[in-house]
Amino acid sequence: MMILRISVVAIGLVMVLTQALSAGEHWSLKPRTRPAVPGIDSKWVRNPIDAFVLARMRKARLAPAAEADPATLIRRLTFDLHGLPPAPAEVTEFAAAWTQAGAKRDAVLERWVDRLLASPRYGERWGRHWLDVVRYAESEGFEYDRFRPGAWRYRDYVIKAFNDDKPFGRFLLEQLAGDESARNDHDSLIAAGFHRLGPVRRNAGNKLVAFSRNEILTERTDAIGSVFLGLTVGCARCHDHRFDEIPQKDYYRLQAYLASTREYDVVLADAQTQADWKERTTRIQTRIQQLQKQVQGKQDKATERTIAELRQTLPPALPTISTVKNHTKERTPIHVLKRGDVARKGAVVGPRPLSLFVPKDAPELPAHVINPRTQLAKWLNDPAHPLVPRVLVNRIWQGHFGTGIVATPNDFGVNGAAPSHPELLDWLANEFVHPSPPGRGAGGEGERARTMKRIHRLIVLSSTYRQASVAADEPARKRIDPQDRLLSRFPRRRLSAEELRDAMLAVAGKLNLKTGGPSVMVPVEADLVKLLYDPGQWVVTPDEKEHDRRSVYLAVKRNLQLPFAQVFDQPNAAISCPRRESSTHALQALELLNGKLSNKLADAFAARLKRECGDDRTKQVERAFLLAAGRGPTMREREVALEFLRTQPLREFAVGMFNLNAFLYVN
Amino acid sequence: MNSRVDESLRAHAQSRRSFLQSAACGIGGLALASMLHDDIARTNPLAPRLPQRPAKANAVIFLFMAGGPSHLETFDPKPLLNRLHGQPRPAEFGQANYQFIQPDARLLGSARRFRKHGQSGIDVSDLFPHTARCVDDLAVIRSCHGDSVVHSAAQYEMFTGRVQPGYPSMGSWILYGLGSESQSLPGYVVMPDPHGALEAGQPMYTNGFLPAVYQPTMFQGGDRPVRNLNLPAGVSLAQRRRTIDLIRNLNAASPDRRDEELDARIESYDLAFRMQTEAPEIFDLSRETRATLDLYGIGREPTHDYARRCLLARKLVENGVRFVTVVAGGGPGNMQWDAHADIEENHLRLAGQTDQPVAALLTDLKRRGLLESTLVLWGGEFGRSPEAQGGRGRDHHNLGFSMWLAGGGIKGGTIVGATDAIGLRAIEDRCHLRDIHTTILHQLGLDQDELSYPHLGRRERLTLVHGRVIGQIV
Repeated sequence: MMILRISVVAIGLVMVLTQALSAGEHWSLKPRTRPAVPGIDSKWVRNPIDAFVLARMRKARLAPAAEADPATLIRRLTFDLHGLPPAPAEVTEFAAAWTQAGAKRDAVLERWVDRLLASPRYGERWGRHWLDVVRYAESEGFEYDRFRPGAWRYRDYVIKAFNDDKPFGRFLLEQLAGDESARNDHDSLIAAGFHRLGPVRRNAGNKLVAFSRNEILTERTDAIGSVFLGLTVGCARCHDHRFDEIPQKDYYRLQAYLASTREYDVVLADAQTQADWKERTTRIQTRIQQLQKQVQGKQDKATERTIAELRQTLPPALPTISTVKNHTKERTPIHVLKRGDVARKGAVVGPRPLSLFVPKDAPELPAHVINPRTQLAKWLNDPAHPLVPRVLVNRIWQGHFGTGIVATPNDFGVNGAAPSHPELLDWLANEFVHPSPPGRGAGGEGERARTMKRIHRLIVLSSTYRQASVAADEPARKRIDPQDRLLSRFPRRRLSAEELRDAMLAVAGKLNLKTGGPSVMVPVEADLVKLLYDPGQWVVTPDEKEHDRRSVYLAVKRNLQLPFAQVFDQPNAAISCPRRESSTHALQALELLNGKLSNKLADAFAARLKRECGDDRTKQVERAFLLAAGRGPTMREREVALEFLRTQPLREFAVGMFNLNAFLYVN
Repeated sequence: MNSRVDESLRAHAQSRRSFLQSAACGIGGLALASMLHDDIARTNPLAPRLPQRPAKANAVIFLFMAGGPSHLETFDPKPLLNRLHGQPRPAEFGQANYQFIQPDARLLGSARRFRKHGQSGIDVSDLFPHTARCVDDLAVIRSCHGDSVVHSAAQYEMFTGRVQPGYPSMGSWILYGLGSESQSLPGYVVMPDPHGALEAGQPMYTNGFLPAVYQPTMFQGGDRPVRNLNLPAGVSLAQRRRTIDLIRNLNAASPDRRDEELDARIESYDLAFRMQTEAPEIFDLSRETRATLDLYGIGREPTHDYARRCLLARKLVENGVRFVTVVAGGGPGNMQWDAHADIEENHLRLAGQTDQPVAALLTDLKRRGLLESTLVLWGGEFGRSPEAQGGRGRDHHNLGFSMWLAGGGIKGGTIVGATDAIGLRAIEDRCHLRDIHTTILHQLGLDQDELSYPHLGRRERLTLVHGRVIGQIV
């Protein structure tokens, strides 16, 4: 709660301060500078990041915190890069290597970081950050909330892109225009499903075609603005943007890139298979509908059972890629709409970048331009683009430190927060686009340009990242930098909903690390399923081992958010979520104390302790702390735990461990 | 009397405030506290807070009539419609978009009888004999209108002020603005209809981009309606207390640096325990007198279910819950007020289930002195078409329909606005859904602009377009 509140205050203050500036002078729209790395003579400075951070700290008369101890460091790194706790053996191994290495600790750390970045767990963790930003869900929301066929493929695409360290330029191009540039490449088609991730309203009866089409175009345009440009272009849909110099016309020019973009499902099966599937499905569906008519408003358990059985006999959906393609014949003429009202059409516009970035009289592209979204991607991928690289490195920074250099990662406009370290932001963006000469064994600039693992490495190997979470002089830090914007310590954070669930599974020894494939539906309370318009949409995955898979593989249904995730601030995927809230409240306590998941896994955790430590309570306590907190218990903790275990059951001790701050937070 | 409510609210909030300030030493100096109540929110984001303006109400009960009850069969008599029955709509009334029926549909007269009730002489149809007896407490808005004619979008607008999902529900906004008065109950409760889902589903009730602490607690059926309030099988309350003590003691023994957030988390376990011990008593309706149960219609069909939930709503508000939504209608359309096929059959059935409980709730709140400070809102996401669908049904209709407000300083016995002579379009004193929102906030001492939250570069508020307070009823 506190972290959230503080950032909110920061945003508020910055809004007041910056509203006086006119947009033309706004820092984020100006070309990136080439800031010189501050020349600071300090052993603390390991790389340019540290130089920028220390310079800023010194200006504020703050000093860096001590280096974190190895147990803290390895737990921080593993959660940060994998979203999982380190295994006890890893903690021990790392701590031993660290202690032995003496002056060669940097090399030890580098080896561990490289190992962590090379693991498939990395993509599962960082892909999830991206899925938040792109409003990823697998169902369409609104009334029908149907699952998009093969929606999970986009999730796997993202995870793989992160694991493969796909250069961001390609990642961007594939998502915006994969269908245009590589029509037969499945990955590219899946990536272009980006345009279909948002909620879609479908309704029976009179369709109001133009109105619905406008809703879709609006949703897609706003997403591009938030995700890649870090601008709230949506404000300009109804009027000229009040704070950022985005005339209404510009908004519709951006929308014009999408004028002929239409939904497209690619079924990955031959014609005969498709025909058979369709025939069989229609036959069963028709029968179900007949029966449903019969039972409507009546209590007829037998027929309801028959319907349920029939549902089971429906053939599984054929493998499908849900993507888009250009239907030039169905291109929607894009007009400037007065007050955003589809009935009040103004001038027709064609695709063109925002006026902020091109000369005022730059011509629009012809409305029928071939591959319009490739053109859009080309503009966004321009190495000199002032926003795209800044926005991306800022997201990476936020992923590591909890708050970005710009605290409003989807809003680099005049209303957004001012950067805490503007030169560092530009330095990182430059380094991202034009990597400095590689060290031994790395590829040339072309291959390394816009790769993310390189940036992660720079950040997590820095002294800035290696600080303890207690400042050198806490009273001074609290007075001078209560919001931790200057990073004179490592900001502590609560685990996200997914990390928490995954960590509980891992600690209990139940985590199923299977990767990829169709999403898993876990059992949820019947009352919640009943709140679905079609309760038949929630079909619990029969294989129970699947229920213990990582959270990123659980089905994301817009109208049924898993209560566990919701309570711990998982976003609702209605719109792009740039940064998660981190709240603290009693429903979280109830979830972890009395919830089914928590209690089931506490049983497993207790069983594991018993299996691994027998009846030796001291060993059990030792092991439990190592698993859940990544360190052994202190003397006092050991005493308290043993006192409890003298009279109380081990599984209750396990419940307690899931509720400890030492488990729920990363230092 | 309104100022009395106001004073007690302030006094209560004041005492909590000073307590929290002294408890959380060393905080302060943040200038934007008035906007974000930051000093309190840091330690307990649900602590009750001073409203921004003088308040007349401190709680809201929304009796949501899902699916869209007909204004033409309830609060808006249209003799001309009966005379024009079976004819096409005369051109002078203008055009309307419907979800299903086509422009050539014929007008459908109403079979209901209207009579003037109470001292105010407001027309209420014979669907609502019980509510009619409370009519002097109601402000009937006959000129409501919204932006969507399909359920999901209209329901989002009714609850969140937007026709898309993803925005905070008014219950979440109000909890964010005022905090909760209760130490043992959730601050914002939704009691869905056990018959099933609504079109807009879960997202219409939720906190959107507000922190999860402002999310609704969705009540389940049964005696223990709050999720996770039941202890796991084989675990006693005493056992749970000992486990909570273990958590507290281990947290205290931790070598980690303490801060407000960790302290708040430790506090949250005590609140959780209080919810477990105290809330079940409040959920227990068997402590109510037979007379009260009879007043609501509990233990009898067809009223039992809605009556139970209405009585629970009273008990929640009585114990400091800020916002309660009690949904009437759920599942397939005809199980809601969504009378596409037969307006008579559908509305007689739904009114039979809800009329007595609704009136009982008003009566009960009033006799306990709670109606003064509790604002009750009744209505659906839209009304129904003057034209027939399929002969005897009515389609959705968002251009003019009725809702009512009562209590919480609302002037009873009032009619606001009017639709045209066939009930097609609101033509006098038009009240958009956002005006209803604005009026509710106003009664709670909240201002639509001040109750805002920064999100994606905007200061979002409940009302997308600026709403107005319905002046004649406040």
